[in-house]
Amino acid sequence: MTPARRLVAALLVALLAGQSAPVLAQQRAPGARPADNTDEGGIWAAMDKAEIDARASADVNRDPQLNAYVKGVFCKLAPEYCGDVRIYVMDRPYYNAAMAPNGYMEVWSGTLLRARSEDELAFVLGHEVTHYAENHSLQTWRAMKNRAAAFLGVQVGAALLGAAAARSAGTAEGARAALDTAEGVSNVIYLGTIASLFRFSRDNETEADRLGMQRAVSAGYAADTGVGMFKALQAETKASQFFRVRNSERRLNIFGSHPLTAERLKQMETLAPMATPDDPADRRAYRARIRPHLAAWIRDDMRRKDFGQSLHLLDQLAADGEDAGILGFYKGEAYRLRRETGDLERARAAYQAASAHPDAPVQTWRELGEAHRKAGDKAAARGAFTTYLERAPQAEDRWLVEATLAKL
Amino acid sequence: MFRALALCFCLFAAACTTTDQKFADRGAPRPAPGARILLVEPDVQLSVLTMAGLDEPRADWSKSAQANLDAAMQAALRQRSHQFRELDPATAQEGRIGQLLRLHEAVGRSILAFSYGQIDLPTKRRRFDWTLGEGVQALGRQYDADYALFTYGRGSYSSGGRKVAMVGMALLGAGIMPLGGQEAFASLVDLRTGRVVWFNVAKAAPTADMRDPEGAQAFVDAIMKDAPL
Repeated sequence: MTPARRLVAALLVALLAGQSAPVLAQQRAPGARPADNTDEGGIWAAMDKAEIDARASADVNRDPQLNAYVKGVFCKLAPEYCGDVRIYVMDRPYYNAAMAPNGYMEVWSGTLLRARSEDELAFVLGHEVTHYAENHSLQTWRAMKNRAAAFLGVQVGAALLGAAAARSAGTAEGARAALDTAEGVSNVIYLGTIASLFRFSRDNETEADRLGMQRAVSAGYAADTGVGMFKALQAETKASQFFRVRNSERRLNIFGSHPLTAERLKQMETLAPMATPDDPADRRAYRARIRPHLAAWIRDDMRRKDFGQSLHLLDQLAADGEDAGILGFYKGEAYRLRRETGDLERARAAYQAASAHPDAPVQTWRELGEAHRKAGDKAAARGAFTTYLERAPQAEDRWLVEATLAKL
Repeated sequence: MFRALALCFCLFAAACTTTDQKFADRGAPRPAPGARILLVEPDVQLSVLTMAGLDEPRADWSKSAQANLDAAMQAALRQRSHQFRELDPATAQEGRIGQLLRLHEAVGRSILAFSYGQIDLPTKRRRFDWTLGEGVQALGRQYDADYALFTYGRGSYSSGGRKVAMVGMALLGAGIMPLGGQEAFASLVDLRTGRVVWFNVAKAAPTADMRDPEGAQAFVDAIMKDAPL
């Protein structure tokens, strides 16, 4: 290597090392908007545009009462950021919530459907606001910039090595091998960079769990909420009808971008070793809040076509005996759509049980009639179809049911 | 060393802003004199290319470029024989109008990808028949306009470190690193039929920096030179 080349390389490496910006450690001041000429200002502007698009999405749940309720819980947890954060409930059947650095938050209906009490919602919101308060997005971006610069530094070294070896190799084949080696080094380094990005966000996740829980506890919510929540999510993962989901607890499942690791559960168990006694009144009060959306959200969940998980979820929702008509009807639907051996009988039993409850949707009798008909019980089918027509005289499919009745 | 010098030359050489415009097939009518034009404020996003090659959005550059392009477009339209009025998209994100603005963004991006890009769609080969559909009439009714003119600006500028790194890597024989660049496109939509009657893409010369008023003016001059307005 010539002295000139060595000097160029040394200068480049020095330049790259000088790139690292300090990572913020202090909490964000409420109401502060970053200056436009900073990296943070740029990220905010990009997020403002993403928020405009999200606001126009068909997934936005526009029930003012539900949105006000979620915002109210948030403001109990983080009164200082109450004016900074805008929350959108999105009707998406996955367990997820997301916090953008500019103060726009999404809470997905799959999360609201699975929460058993306000405490769990508070835990999730506390987790998300911690990402905001601790500037996690900016940290991630700056860490990524530093890693990219470090990666370029190693590329400089690899390019030097490769080019030097190529010159000394003498033969074309030798040169090729040397260059391949240098490229191999680059790839390993590249993969290492990607992996450390995930590592970093996992650290942020555990910090968000810890500080989010502290916020929830200060606002009067139960300390062990996270423990129960993570265990319930693990149980639902195990209930999947797909082998791959059951065996991939961490990623590529309905729990989205939040890795559900045993490590996070362990942290929650360490932080809250004492179990708080369960209060059924809390669960009833929370159910009353989400009841107007219960049927729609369950229907969305079934569209994922993981009936193992949907049935598990329905059992969890039915644990306190409330909403037995709605939950029973959808249990029947899950069996009817799954169509495994014995599912017709199971569906028929579920519809039958649901029909005894005043909150059963009117379709229960139509589906019950159909299940009876398939099972060969004509008299019972006639009874159920007749009840359906009595209860829904204006039904769009009245003609279809009448035609079926005429053939029975 | 010759290669390195050549690269340095390329880096600082001046070139003209290049444009590439397309007209709708089968002679869509040009706007008649006195046609009412709805000028949708430009949508601009600029970023800085960090030394290692990450695009970092810069809100201040985007804002000043947006204001500069907007002023230059207004001046350009004032010279022509059409009436025009302006629409700030930030005031019209809801409802039908908001959906139409987003639809145009999607169609504009598709035009860039399929009529200008590397991807060759069999149904669009040598054809330029893009349309937003007759639903755009809502936009015409709302703002009393016959045509809508949209402008988009996107681009990145190399940081000082990026340029140094590029020269350094070139000296080491490690090849060329992208240095960023800016482009803008404008499209004219017939608000009765929804057809994109004219579309133009401009890639910036170093002298056409849309972050200052003169550069934005140069950009708009290039884009609007042969516009059917």
